[in-house]
Amino acid sequence: MATNRSGAAQRPNGAPQTKVCQFKLVLLGESAVGKSSLVLRFVKGQFHEYQESTIGAAFLTQTVCLDDTTVKFEIWDTAGQERYHSLAPMYYRGAQAAIVVYDITNQDTFGRAKNWVKELQRQASPSIVIALAGNKSDLAAKRMVEFEEAQAYADENGLLFMETSAKTAMNVNDIFLAIANKLPKSEGGGSAGAGGARRLGDAEQARSSSCCK
Amino acid sequence: MAKSYFGAVDEYGFERHEDFDYGSYEAFMSNYLKVLASRAQKWAILLGDDGKSVKRTTTVKRYVRKGIPSEHRPSVWMAISQAEIMKEQSPDLYQKILDGPFEKELVDLVKTDLPRTFPDNIYFTKEANHQTHLFNILIAYAHNNRVVGYCQGLNYIAGLLLLATKNEETSFWLLKVLVEKILPDYYTKTMDGLIVDIEVLSELVKSKVPDVHQHVINLGLPWAVITTKWFVCLFAEVLPIETVLRIWDCLFYEGSKILFRVCLTLIRQNRQKIMSCNDFTSLAECFKSIVKDYSALHCHEFMEKIFTVPGSLSNSTIIKLRERFAKQRREQQQKEPPR
Repeated sequence: MATNRSGAAQRPNGAPQTKVCQFKLVLLGESAVGKSSLVLRFVKGQFHEYQESTIGAAFLTQTVCLDDTTVKFEIWDTAGQERYHSLAPMYYRGAQAAIVVYDITNQDTFGRAKNWVKELQRQASPSIVIALAGNKSDLAAKRMVEFEEAQAYADENGLLFMETSAKTAMNVNDIFLAIANKLPKSEGGGSAGAGGARRLGDAEQARSSSCCK
Repeated sequence: MAKSYFGAVDEYGFERHEDFDYGSYEAFMSNYLKVLASRAQKWAILLGDDGKSVKRTTTVKRYVRKGIPSEHRPSVWMAISQAEIMKEQSPDLYQKILDGPFEKELVDLVKTDLPRTFPDNIYFTKEANHQTHLFNILIAYAHNNRVVGYCQGLNYIAGLLLLATKNEETSFWLLKVLVEKILPDYYTKTMDGLIVDIEVLSELVKSKVPDVHQHVINLGLPWAVITTKWFVCLFAEVLPIETVLRIWDCLFYEGSKILFRVCLTLIRQNRQKIMSCNDFTSLAECFKSIVKDYSALHCHEFMEKIFTVPGSLSNSTIIKLRERFAKQRREQQQKEPPR
């Protein structure tokens, strides 16, 4: 599974049953920056050179394991074209996390990413964890957005930041893990929208806690 | 499993995925081929030897509901949708637009989506000429209708029109008649017609399948999340391709009301599955699976169901609901001006 490949976090063998938390995560960003490709890499470990354009939104789930917690992401991968913007609030409403994606080879997409961050800061849940992903880092030769520029912007705005490559898998699991680590795993966290995790019922917990085996 | 009669690529050029269920498909096709043969005979008699253009009559409407043979789709779609008349009124339009010049911004938008349209279809990848045709259709339309320009989703519609008609200019006119005559404003920059139609559907579900409506609301899944792609792509890339083309047969004749019939059929005939979902995730997965199952594949039976399962659905009901939600939307927008 995702976390095992990255090796960043594993549950020690024989540890007592972990807590399972469920979070809603939304991907936002300009068309063709690689939102669906990041999700496909994270959820299925695959990459397609030509990923179909997403209409409306696509829904997937993936689970990552931290030391004492299993985090189940409900992932909403959205359409990038500007005119689908009016539908976006439906997807980020109640989201506990967002990944705002831009393409490091295209300066315009970085500008659009900043607008998404602004909109989330204004309209989304105040406790939302936002990560900025500079995707297509394998195309560094065509780079138009400097790493330092994006890092400085992320620092100013309190965002997680990584350059990623859905193609080579670089930092893809890591960015989801970093988000999982930053999300509050409070006991009995409220429902979607309150910012806290949703604890799963016992039956569901038993089913999904097998992710680290 | 024994080697299937059906190859790794379907008749429209789509690669069959590893998990393609040849068994179910063969069961379906062994029946459907008989239907196709019988319909082909009836259409041959209807059209006569000279392949004359069809008129909009109740007989033709009945024939269309039972499926247009694929070889007749281009001409029959053009006739019943009245795209033919549009074309006759400006016969040089398509070629003139293609003579250019083109706006760079539109060219970039369209080009980005070309390799991302049906990447699993051999006509769009290995035999790449369909990408050129698709570019021409989309760029011509974007310049012809500046209010719409290029909207993601049109690539799938134009792409499937191209696969069904094998003709660039025919696809252009059919795309034009869909966007401008058959559908409300789904593809404009504010997508008002889409947002209104999703509200209309929600209201129809509420009155026709109230428990499902309440259940979906309770689990926190907005209808727009479920159905945006259904409406925008007219079920292309949603339902199995043969089912989509059968829906389009009726769409070209009867108009956008057909889309509601399809949505309501999917929802009502899967009522129990939807009601048995007890969380958001399983509900979202349920809506992904019901468009790919046995019933969605069996297009002939499915198309019979769309005229019975949803019950009565009059044009005046749709018109009234559209007016009501469009008015609500205008009032809302006046209260909170767009950002």
